[in-house]
Amino acid sequence: MASIVLNNVDKIYAGGVKAVNGLNLEIKDGEFMVLVGPSGCGKSTALRMIAGLEDISGGEIVIGDRVVNHLPPKDRDIAMVFQNYALYPHMTVEENLAFGLKLRKMSKPEIAKRVNEAAKMLGLEQYLKRKPAALSGGQRQRVAMGRAIVREPQAFLMDEPLSNLDAKLRVSMRASLNQLHERLGVTTVYVTHDQVEAMTLGDRVCVLRDGILQQVDTPQNLFDKPVNLFVAGFMGSPSMNFTYAELVRDGAGAAVAFAGYKLPVPDTAFAEKAGLERYIGKRIILGIRPSDFEDAVAANGASAGWARVPVKANVTEELGSEINVLFTIDAPPVEHKDTVAAANDGDEEEAAALPLTGDKSLWTARVNARSHVRPGQNIELVVDTHNLHFFDVESGLSIGHPANVGR
Amino acid sequence: MRRGRLTPGAVRKWGFIASFLAAPLAIYIIFFVSPNLQALQLALTNSRGISPDFQYVGFENFTRLFGDEVFWAAVRHHGLILLVMPLVTIVIALFFSFLLNLGGGQRNGQLTGVWGSSFYKVVFFFPQVLAVVIVGVLFQAVLNPQKSGILNSVLGWFGVDPVGWLIKPDLALWTIIGVMVWQGVGFYVVLFSAGMAGVPKEIFEAAALDGANRFTLFFKITLPLVWNTVQVGWVYLGIAAFDAFALVQVLSIDRGGPDNATTVLPLEIFRQTFTYYRFGYASAMGVALVFLVLTFAALTLRVTRRERIEY
Repeated sequence: MASIVLNNVDKIYAGGVKAVNGLNLEIKDGEFMVLVGPSGCGKSTALRMIAGLEDISGGEIVIGDRVVNHLPPKDRDIAMVFQNYALYPHMTVEENLAFGLKLRKMSKPEIAKRVNEAAKMLGLEQYLKRKPAALSGGQRQRVAMGRAIVREPQAFLMDEPLSNLDAKLRVSMRASLNQLHERLGVTTVYVTHDQVEAMTLGDRVCVLRDGILQQVDTPQNLFDKPVNLFVAGFMGSPSMNFTYAELVRDGAGAAVAFAGYKLPVPDTAFAEKAGLERYIGKRIILGIRPSDFEDAVAANGASAGWARVPVKANVTEELGSEINVLFTIDAPPVEHKDTVAAANDGDEEEAAALPLTGDKSLWTARVNARSHVRPGQNIELVVDTHNLHFFDVESGLSIGHPANVGR
Repeated sequence: MRRGRLTPGAVRKWGFIASFLAAPLAIYIIFFVSPNLQALQLALTNSRGISPDFQYVGFENFTRLFGDEVFWAAVRHHGLILLVMPLVTIVIALFFSFLLNLGGGQRNGQLTGVWGSSFYKVVFFFPQVLAVVIVGVLFQAVLNPQKSGILNSVLGWFGVDPVGWLIKPDLALWTIIGVMVWQGVGFYVVLFSAGMAGVPKEIFEAAALDGANRFTLFFKITLPLVWNTVQVGWVYLGIAAFDAFALVQVLSIDRGGPDNATTVLPLEIFRQTFTYYRFGYASAMGVALVFLVLTFAALTLRVTRRERIEY
């Protein structure tokens, strides 16, 4: 096991496209690090550079205590799991698992021991004599994992290993991956475009965009304290609601005003977010997570100190345990380069819903299933004002985020 | 469908199928099946092709054929070509296509060929564009036994005496096999390149991570994955080994010489037919050739049957 350190790593393709731009990242020994971002953000390129499958245009990659910039992939002591599994189709499962060990001139009993251990761990024992073509997608995926495990490498590199599986299998494989990492404790770098995978698997998550690192933090911190509009919009599903708003302070205290609503801003917000004071009387971008809404009726009693927002539900999506209420507010949608980039990678339906709303913003509130709200009904929502997010209109940076102080 | 045989639906269905089958089937019967059957018929006669009168002579042509030294020489030559030519062509073509596609290692995340491989691809394919007769004429100049022959003059720089490439009986057939290989390699380089391009690149990357060098990459990964394509190439080349007519006709001394050292069955058939006008005897030879090719094809399909590879 080993740590992996990337120092100012660049990748410039022929033609001058910068796929990865000055990436600094430290993956600790035994850590599960997820690289996440929309397609084309450079996350796969970064992983392939760690693996040695792509040259490094600039900077330095250190695995353990060795600079590996010029080492070929086989000498880096890492194992990789590919999205399409890349199993050798002409070999049986057993031969697939043993191939890398045979090439390393390992003794036969040792190979057999490791292959059997891995097969047992992954439940592949009865498939050892089969060829990959005779396996299901999930089984092939496990063979691909097994091929990495038997090598007992310093680090696992995984390039969207679950994307070719169907939704149900993906959830169960996600759980097994978690268990596997706990059992083996091997440093793992995991690339995905799926933010649910990122949140559930990662000890820490690294959000990339256009080859530039946006934020590295624990999943919860990414969700609660996004560093800018892009991270705020990209992490979390349904994604965060944005609007232009004005921060005001009058006799009743500080408040944020938008689209005819006025939400009080608690004093704790000013204490937590250094520099928020300076925005009083100015335009900002306000962000509210769908999960910070609640139906005033269903939340009866727990709503003390929460601000009330009466809206008309346009669409409701009943998910069983909760309901997504989609409603419009009378304010133009926020068009910042960061929100556009984050929304483009979101669900197709969300993008398709935009034209219907004209110059109004479509917001989502996630409320309790007991709410029984129907499309077209008026509903009173409450907002947890402690979890309001404020962003600078120009830079899109989160106001008062520790990483942004002085930027 | 069970009750009446000729329901309107059945007529429509079979009519539809028949309308598609009729034309190709007719062409196949007229131009392939019927000449073959006629050859079988002619092989039992003493027809000379120029007069309508001929007698059936039973298996006389065949008994004469099996006693014919030239016939057996031609069969031996086919055997030698069949053993050597496909093997050499495939080995060279596989080697070249590996170098052209995977031999150069990683560049920009893609496995690439050696430097200048796109240029070599064109060069290797070049012989395929030339008509066989032109290849023959070209190699007459290259293999000229005089000191002034292209190959011999090159060898002359190194002090080698002129070699009678096509006039020495024990060398002539090998020379012709060499020309066949030269002519054929380009096509199989392209064929195997296509086979290698069909393998997902992640498999090669996984092998690189597993620690495979170029040697293991070729023998343990590439070759098994393009084995189906190699088999197809083997069948093509095997059938080509029973032809060789044009090259021997143009290139060899005295058409199949010297002293029948390079003769092949199609050439003998041609000679018997259009030089000696022994149509019956030539047809018997043709029938023998058909059986040889059929045996080869059946054996190959039998031996090389293997499960399909699925990625």
